[in-house]
Amino acid sequence: MPQVERIDDYRWRIPRQGGMRTEGLIFADDQLMRDLEGDQAVQQVANVAHLPGIVGPAIAMPDIHWGYGFPIGGVAAFDEAEGVVSPGGVGYDINCGVRLLATPLTLGEARPRLRQLVDALYATIPSGLGASRSDVRLARGDLDQVLRLGARWAVEQGYGDPADLEAIEGNGTLPDADPDCVSDRAKERGKSQLGTVGSGNHFVEVGYVAERHDERVADRLGLGPATVTVFIHSGSRGLGYQVCDDHLDLMLRAAAKYGIALPDKQLCCAPLGSPEGKRYWGAMNAAANYAFANRQLMAHYARRALGTVFGEDTARRTRLVYDVCHNIAKHETHEVSGARTRLCVHRKGATRAFPPGHPELAPQFRDIGQPVLIPGDMGRYSYVLVGTAGAFTETFGSSCHGAGRRLSRHKAKQLARPRNIPMELEAQGILIRAATRATVDEEMPEAYKDVARVVDVVDRAGIGRKVAQLKPVAVVKG
Amino acid sequence: MTPYRFVPHTADVAAELRAESELGLYQAGVDALRELLVGTSPVRSLEERPIPVRGADPTERLVRFLGDVLYLYDTERFVPDRVSPAGLSGEPFDPARHHALREVKAVTYHGAAVLRDAAGCRATIVFDV
Repeated sequence: MPQVERIDDYRWRIPRQGGMRTEGLIFADDQLMRDLEGDQAVQQVANVAHLPGIVGPAIAMPDIHWGYGFPIGGVAAFDEAEGVVSPGGVGYDINCGVRLLATPLTLGEARPRLRQLVDALYATIPSGLGASRSDVRLARGDLDQVLRLGARWAVEQGYGDPADLEAIEGNGTLPDADPDCVSDRAKERGKSQLGTVGSGNHFVEVGYVAERHDERVADRLGLGPATVTVFIHSGSRGLGYQVCDDHLDLMLRAAAKYGIALPDKQLCCAPLGSPEGKRYWGAMNAAANYAFANRQLMAHYARRALGTVFGEDTARRTRLVYDVCHNIAKHETHEVSGARTRLCVHRKGATRAFPPGHPELAPQFRDIGQPVLIPGDMGRYSYVLVGTAGAFTETFGSSCHGAGRRLSRHKAKQLARPRNIPMELEAQGILIRAATRATVDEEMPEAYKDVARVVDVVDRAGIGRKVAQLKPVAVVKG
Repeated sequence: MTPYRFVPHTADVAAELRAESELGLYQAGVDALRELLVGTSPVRSLEERPIPVRGADPTERLVRFLGDVLYLYDTERFVPDRVSPAGLSGEPFDPARHHALREVKAVTYHGAAVLRDAAGCRATIVFDV
């Protein structure tokens, strides 16, 4: 592990050492730093600092954990002229992200029919291994339109309301998408998975507003006391995984071609302006649009489930609060050494958290800042935050993305084996539906860090501001 | 010699592979991947699928081979059994006999390196799950 120095209660510096071109900056308290002992996440922050064209420090959020190449919870910005783009800095699940819906129901109104609701969600939104939809089959031309238009394609097909688009980061359509850069293999993997959750840590969760830290902003977001919410966590499914895989092969060769020394093969990358870099950019944005469309369809089917159980008026009045990406790279303008500079910001397991007043925010968020959605584990709570000026100056407008795993899947299964996790959660008032027991065991609450600790570090360090805490009452796992 | 064993990894799943030859290493990787996908469900070699060996070095070849095996499972539900010089044998997923455990997103290059020693070849592979 590289040398690490404490800066203050919530910041740690990895000084430049070896081939590092810049220093590392980790946001964590003492406990979260102790959690990192024994894995390679801190080394991975140092590895990212080796990449050419990096601007500012290689950053890690308090939910940092060991990923492949870049750590999960990592942020790195690169100069557009000198810098690189790296599939490992985005992740396999391109535009994995979170979407939050607010229903017109309070917990008291919903509680008597929660069991019907979770059953309807489980039946309506396919989850688990190999989940696919027989009712959404895409012809090749349709898939290319999904890749070009993202959530806008879905809304044009009747999956949701045009108003939804204003509550999605980038309005749910990234303009640089190029379907021709997406391989046939990737399209084959993605053609029947639109509108499905997937497995692992992905989920659809019914919760309620348990605590409001900022009542004004919570009211603006439609998060009244005890409001019932639906949280959706998923990404670009097999299509995105294949796009990443395809381009890792290309980038390995590109890194050698352009003489880029890599401390880890999974950091393979290409100059942003190179043909290889541009090809990945077109494919990554296309996969990101697929993910936006995927979550748009899932939101549509969640509304259908709400309509089935609580009536069409409930479905109609269920609003999209926001939808964020937490695995993505974006061209953005930031201030560097006093000058406005165009950068390519990689966020892998990190969420954009632009401050109030930022021109890229939709009008309804312009005075409150970008909503930041932070899911926790399925037994405790999740959070809604907003972006801050502190995040914009210190982390390229980025915040955390979740709790971060504490236990390996193997260890979690060992702990869960003699127990019945669904029954334990039901005893706490949380209903679970899942395709397999293995997923539930691996995703048991103890497998994750306490997201409240992660969010507190973010809040106290000033790189995000708490708005509301949500508690789960029903979870569909893949 | 145990062909594979899973080792601790916080976010994903890592497997250590051991074999006498590079081809044997592919089999160990297929065995580990199959356990992740369908556990101990019995799998028969009823059909074959060609998988061209691609890559500049043993590590790239191993990662790509296993990536192709995963692609066949993801798109055709082809459950892998045995590695052959031509590719892979196995059978279509049968819900009556195969228990799908989890989705594996990818076979990664993270820390991947095929090493040779007196006993043959070994490698650690991280599966993104």
